This record gives sequence, structure tokens and C-alpha cells, in this order.
Amino acid sequence: MSTAAISDSALRDEVRAWLAANWKGLPKPQRGASGDWTLSPEHKAWLSLVVEARWAAPRWSAEWYGRGLSDDQARIVEREFAAVGAPGTGQDRTNLWANTALAHASPAFRQKIVPALLKSSVAMCLLYSEPGAGSDLAGIRTRADRDGDDFVVNGQKVWTSGAATADYGMLIARTDWDAPKHRGISFFFCPMKQPGVEVRPLRQITNESHFNEVFLTNARIPAENLLGPLNHGWGVLQTALAYERSVMGDDARGPRSGVPEATKEEPLIALAREAGVLGDAALRQQIAQAIAYKKLNALNSLRAKADLAQGTSSPVVSLGKLAMSRILHEEARVRTAILGARSLFEGPQHPRAEDANFLTLNAYFTSIGGGTDQIQRNIIGERVLGLPKEPEIDREIPFREVKASRSKAR
Amino acid sequence: MTTLPADQRAALLEAVSRLLATESSEASVRRTMATPAGYDRALWKQLADMGVAGLVVDEAHGGAGAGAVELEAVMELAGAALLCAPLLASSVLAAELLRASGDEAAQARLLPGIASGATIATAALTGDAGTWTRDGVSVTAAGEALSGVASYVLHAQNADVLLVLARERDDVAIYEVDPRARGVAIAALPTFDHTLRLARIAFDGAPGRRIAGDGWRAAEAALDLALVALAGEQAGGSRRCLELTVEYAKNRFQFGRAIGSFQAVKHMAADLLLEAESAVSAARSAAEQLAAGSAEARAAVPLAAFACADAFTQVAATSIQMHGGIAFTWENPAHLYLRRARSGAQLFGSPSAHRERYLAALGA
Repeated sequence: MSTAAISDSALRDEVRAWLAANWKGLPKPQRGASGDWTLSPEHKAWLSLVVEARWAAPRWSAEWYGRGLSDDQARIVEREFAAVGAPGTGQDRTNLWANTALAHASPAFRQKIVPALLKSSVAMCLLYSEPGAGSDLAGIRTRADRDGDDFVVNGQKVWTSGAATADYGMLIARTDWDAPKHRGISFFFCPMKQPGVEVRPLRQITNESHFNEVFLTNARIPAENLLGPLNHGWGVLQTALAYERSVMGDDARGPRSGVPEATKEEPLIALAREAGVLGDAALRQQIAQAIAYKKLNALNSLRAKADLAQGTSSPVVSLGKLAMSRILHEEARVRTAILGARSLFEGPQHPRAEDANFLTLNAYFTSIGGGTDQIQRNIIGERVLGLPKEPEIDREIPFREVKASRSKAR
Repeated sequence: MTTLPADQRAALLEAVSRLLATESSEASVRRTMATPAGYDRALWKQLADMGVAGLVVDEAHGGAGAGAVELEAVMELAGAALLCAPLLASSVLAAELLRASGDEAAQARLLPGIASGATIATAALTGDAGTWTRDGVSVTAAGEALSGVASYVLHAQNADVLLVLARERDDVAIYEVDPRARGVAIAALPTFDHTLRLARIAFDGAPGRRIAGDGWRAAEAALDLALVALAGEQAGGSRRCLELTVEYAKNRFQFGRAIGSFQAVKHMAADLLLEAESAVSAARSAAEQLAAGSAEARAAVPLAAFACADAFTQVAATSIQMHGGIAFTWENPAHLYLRRARSGAQLFGSPSAHRERYLAALGA
């Protein structure tokens, strides 16, 4: 279905008029009982309105709640929404769930799920990682077996945020154990509100709970919820991951002033001053170095943005995560060194110790989560520097024969 | 300090890059570093003709009228090619001392020669302690006669003009000294980096011509510009050294595989990329801040100084380890980079001193 061409100015006028007539603002978002950010009924009602008016995904065709606009024109719509602070447009670019479903879901399921995803009337979570498949995601052992009109799923997923409130999880599961690891995986929208799905909060080393374990025991998925062909889930996953990365990249390109913070004192300096050790020459060296790591990373990001603006790609982009790991671990280490014996304490009477100890533990969130530093170094070595990959001994053999961790490592 | 238009800057960098590719090849560097002068006069003339010798000298005095940004960019190329030249001595330290002194007569007398490359000038800024601080000045002036010692003087053995920092009562002033004058004894110092030329100068009642202005403030300006230039050199050296190492890791096979496919080697390379690229960012940022005359330069210059010095040292040192045995030989260029990196890291103050200065600039 084609949409009649519209001029930029006519489009701008139309969006403005529509927003002027409909946008009344929204109440501040609230954290739900589980600690997750949940959308208010007003927010959901607004999203429905945006979807019905075909502003939610203006790049998509009219059949899919869009207007068939070019990227440039869709950006006009996004700018007008942003100008008044209204959410809901640009989902053709940013809505991971809707994009994945539109690209890969069966026609019947797509009709049902895409509008619900655009309206956020269903909540979602990710069922990718497993206790035995972290860095090596293609090594998953959760299984899905066909049974009549359903698939029956058994296994365990981990690091799932929002699992307790989700209606569906994007799930990868093994459907062919005789194929090599990447070629026996399928991708599903798994209904979460059913007896076969048990969600248990994970207690982190920081003593907080932001993630869950999800136990799948004879959980049932209608066959129409299969995305992409059977056993081709790895490819679907790659497009889903690519959406995730592109949205993260977009965030990084967001409007930041790039002005270095000049007035506020560096936290490490303030802490050392407060602790009375700012004159300690050895600590001063460590403080300077820790601050420098942070500043250098900020300079790298600015340079990457400038390169990007000029249309040249920069190797610096891929270095940010590795740099951030070092920044966080170093800052926590130096905080601890500044506090000395006072870092032994815990609790609200000892906020400085709380900070230092929390940051020490939470630094692993960045150096392990989203790909460990070691995986990140592989990526930099291979994709940026062009070094050859390590041979993968399990790549071409039937998955059944691939060695798994012994129980002690699980 | 002015800045060249973008097209002129690009043309200059392109020309310098092409010249250095042939005239500062590894073979040329090895040839030049074995000569007493330690620089190639023909190459120096070519660089001067392109405007490099007078890069930061204003146009009224025959220079290119460029600033810290262009200087840093040229130094990245120089560092990559391990250029042997009196660039830091004459075109940066001496030229900036004269500019910052505000002494117009001295500028008119000396800058045109420096800009054309015909005059090699250098700056004697510190004594045997090698601190490059005000307290480290160990030449004294009585009337216009200088006595005492200056050391770590770049290319003094090749110089036509010495600009000497000397104490006079409570002040520090710059004196112009003829290196051939009586009472001036220049002794070349043996250096670990064979591409470097340093000398120690003993003054014994040597005649000097006083240059107007606050000598130490001019020295601070010259040292800041030199640190930015050096940071650029180190950033460029880091990048090239890593490139050579990665290339080797792709082509050296052991156990039937390129050694770069081993994660033990690959991870070293990834870490070095972070160091090298951070050095580039730091050096360029310091150059921009200095060129803009921004207050941010007070922190940005020492940050670049220690970040680039440490990055180059780490890259060059790890490069040798990544190569293995081949880089333990004199014929492999890896040690040339390590020697350059270790030398640059001590010129104009140590990385620790720069970290201390950085922290002070942040208000601590």
C-alpha cells in the first residue's frame, strides 16, 4: 500500500496540529512494586492514540499503522514530538519487540501482536542467556519440542529483567540437537503467564534484585508464535540484537552538551578532602589517574561523535565499554584506598563505605554484563583490528556432541 | 595563536606525510641516528620549505602562522615516522619562548631564521636535576654574564642560537647566547634514544643578550606548547607502533595459526588500541584548548602529557612482548619506538609530575 507523497512543511504542519489538538502531557512515571518502571494507564491511552493516528511508526506502511515516510520525514515527526515532550513516535526505529515481530512473526501472530507492542499493552522480557550459556549464547540447552499445535519448552533462563510482569518473553530454544550449535535454535514469543513458567528473583552480589531466573517446565507456546523458520532462530536473534545495538548507539548520539563539568569538584577529590588525605602523595597519583581514565573516555566519545558527524567511522566507538569497565573498577578501588579501614563498615551510618563497597561490586555489572571484557577484547581485536578468530571446535559438529560445563561450573 | 583554514591544514599534513614516508623511512632514521648531528639537513630543509620549521611562527616573521592544533597534527606524523629533527628545540621551544617574551626586537632578529630553518635555535631551561621547574633553573646572570649549568638541552650541539633561562636576583630572564662565544662549553650527552640529541652546557661568564619580558612565564608557555607537541608525537608513535605490531600478529604463524588469533595476544592488542586512541584524543584536545587560549588548557595539557607518555611507553613495551624474539633484535624497529617513548616520557617533566599538576588544575 503506497502513501501519497507529502511535502516536509505540510507534514510538519499536520503533526503540529495533531499534537496541539491531542497532547495534554502525562503524569510522572512511577516505579512499580517490583522496582520496574511501569507505564501509567494515561501513558498507555496516549500510546493507543498515537498508534491509531498512525504516528507511532511513520516509516512503516499504512497496513502496519504507518505512513510510508522516508527516514528524513520520519525524523521531522520525531522532532515535533520531542519538541513538546510527547513519547510514542519513532517506534519503527526504537521498538525492539515490534520490529522483531514485524520482520519475522507469522502473519496470524503478527496481526495480533504488533499493534499491542506499539501500544505497550503487552509487557515483554528477554529469555536469551542461560546458566550454561553466557558468553557463548549459541550454546543454549533450553529445549522446545513440537507437540500438536504447540511447542513444549523445558530449561532455565537467567538475567531476565521484568520477567515477573511480562506477558511474553522473546525466547531462544534448541529445536534440533543433531544440527551444529547455530543451526538448531528457534526463536519464539513465549507466553509468560502460564503454570509452566516460574520466575525467581536473583539476589545480586550487591544485595539488590534487578534480575530473575526463569524456570520453564513443560511451558507451552502456540506454534504460530514461532518467529522465522524452525531452526533459523540464530538469524532472528542477530536482527533483534542489531536493533538493540542501534538503539543504544542512538542514545549515545543524543544531545549532550560536550561541555566538561568545570564547577563541580571531582567526587574522588571531594572524598579525599573530606577524609583528610588529599595531601597523601601516593593517593594523589591514584586519584589523578582514575579521574584521567574518565576524562579520556569522555574525550574519546566526543571524538567518535565528531567523526560520525563527518561521516567517517571511528575505532573509538567500540572502546567505550572496555574503557568504562576500567573506570568503574578503578574509581571504586581508589575510593576504597581513600577510606582505608573505614571501608570495613556497612549500613546507613557509613554512607561513604556503602558507596565504595557498592561501587566495587557493581563495577562487575559493566565488566561482565552485556559481554565480558574478555569477549569485548575479542570483538575489538577481530572487528576493529582485523585479527583472525580463534578456531571454534564446536562450530560444525552436532550440538549433541558439544561438551557442556561440569556441574561444579554451573 | 592562530589556526590555519581546514583545506590548508589538510594540504600541509598530506605533504608532510608523503615526505616522511620516503625520507623518514626506518632505513633513513637508522642512518640519521648514527650521525653526530642526528638530523638530516636535506630533510630539514624540505620540511622548512613546507612551512614546518616556522609552523607556529607568525606570518610577519616568515612563519606559517599556525597554532597548537596544526603543530599537534604534524607531530603525530613525526612520531609515527620517528622523525629525527630539531623541531621541538627550534620550531617549538625557541619559537614560543620568543613569541611569549613579547620582545619585538628579538623576534625580528631571530624568528625569520628559525622559520626558514636556516637558524637552529634551542632553549636551555633546566639544570642537572632535570625538573623543568622554576627552582630547577641553575644558570645565574650577573650583568649580562652567565654562569652555571644547563642540561637536557635539545640539539644544543647543532644550535646557532641558545636561549638560556637564567636567574637574576628574584627574577628569571631569557638570555640569547652565541654557542661559539667564550665561556660556553657544550658537551653532547649520550642518549638511550639514539634519535634524540641532548647536551649539557657549562657557562663561565659567558656573554648573553637579555631578552625582555617575564622569563619564567615565557618558559611556561613554551613548555606547554612543547608538551602538546610531544603528546602528539607520542600519540602518533603509539598508533604506528600498534599498527606494525598488529600487522606482524596477522602474519606470524605458530601452532599452525596466526599468533593474533590467540586471545592472549589479541587481548593485548585490544588494550593497546584503547591506550593509543585515548592518547590521540588527549593530545588533540590539549592542542585545541591551548590554541583557544581556554582556561581548560591548565588541566588538558598535563592530562595529555602523562596520558600520552604512559600510553606510548605501554604500547611500545607491550609491542616487543607481542612480537616475541624477533623484537629482541637490533634490526627490528620495535626498540626504536620504546627508546623514543621512554625518552619522551621524561622530557619536560615526568608523568608523575604531570599527574600532580593535573590534580592541582582540578582544584586539589
